[in-house]
Amino acid sequence: MLQLHFTPEWFNGWDLVLDTIGLVIALLIAAFSWRIYNMHKENRYAYFALAFVCIAVGFGFKLLTNGIYYFEPIRDVAAGVLKPVAGPRLAFADLFYRAGFFLEMAPWLGGLLLLFFISQKPRERLHKYYELTQIGLFVYLILLISVVSNFTFFVFYLTSTVLLSLIVLNYYKNYLNNGNSNTLRVMWAFMLMLCAHVLFVFVFLWSGLYFFGEVLLLAGFLVLLLTYTRVVAFRGVKRVA
Amino acid sequence: MAARRSRLELVFDILLSIQNKGGKIKPTHLMYKSNLSHKLLNSYLEELIEKGLVNVEEEFVKKRDGPLKTVVITEKGLGFLAEFRRMREFTDAFGL
Repeated sequence: MLQLHFTPEWFNGWDLVLDTIGLVIALLIAAFSWRIYNMHKENRYAYFALAFVCIAVGFGFKLLTNGIYYFEPIRDVAAGVLKPVAGPRLAFADLFYRAGFFLEMAPWLGGLLLLFFISQKPRERLHKYYELTQIGLFVYLILLISVVSNFTFFVFYLTSTVLLSLIVLNYYKNYLNNGNSNTLRVMWAFMLMLCAHVLFVFVFLWSGLYFFGEVLLLAGFLVLLLTYTRVVAFRGVKRVA
Repeated sequence: MAARRSRLELVFDILLSIQNKGGKIKPTHLMYKSNLSHKLLNSYLEELIEKGLVNVEEEFVKKRDGPLKTVVITEKGLGFLAEFRRMREFTDAFGL
């Protein structure tokens, strides 16, 4: 059978707990951004919300696929449900897991790409037609990468590493411009996620790297949560009219 | 040159000017503080009154022909200010 992740056996299931936390944080940030979009009606907030929804969807598919993979009772239920299509031995297990991995990767990469666009462009970004066509091209490339990654899984992590590096760089530039401590936190959050994805690239060498990667990924999302809570609790006056 | 203020930023500036004056301000002062023309300020004030973000109070003062008008920020207006600050902080933090 296709090996989805090189998870240490003792860590099976625990990674799903960590990913669930990441999923909830991603949805919280998306919801806040969507609220701002409703107030401001500026596309950038909608795109930002969409980026985090994509990441949450990626997590969701990972939870679903790995949940079935890890837990025998759930696997039996899934096999029972799929029996009429797949035959008594769930003959298309490989196909199922490949589809699950694809549905995890494509939204993750899409979300990161959107974050890259949002963090890079000037204020009037994503308004013009040619920018949307550019996004269309990148969506195609992401789908292509996701398909290829199904055969060589580290292509996915390699691509996400590149995207995360660019996002970190953009947030660093953003921090240099505004000197806001929350921007610095966001940069560190993405830096931790970047480190996690670098470890995931090399997980085939030693499965323990998956554990450290998952912990770093969780740490990244927790730093995002910290920033989110500070923003929600924010009451100071920054610019006086 | 400073960027043109969005509609929401103008509303924020009007409400902030009122809050900075202790929640009450004369329309003329508000015009100067928020850097708006008389016509524009009136159109914004009408909208803010309609949405319940501010009230206009009238006081009768001796030695004055008409009533003295003051613009007062409401609880809803204060809520909007807090929400807008959070939104701005979010925008700054996430580089939007």
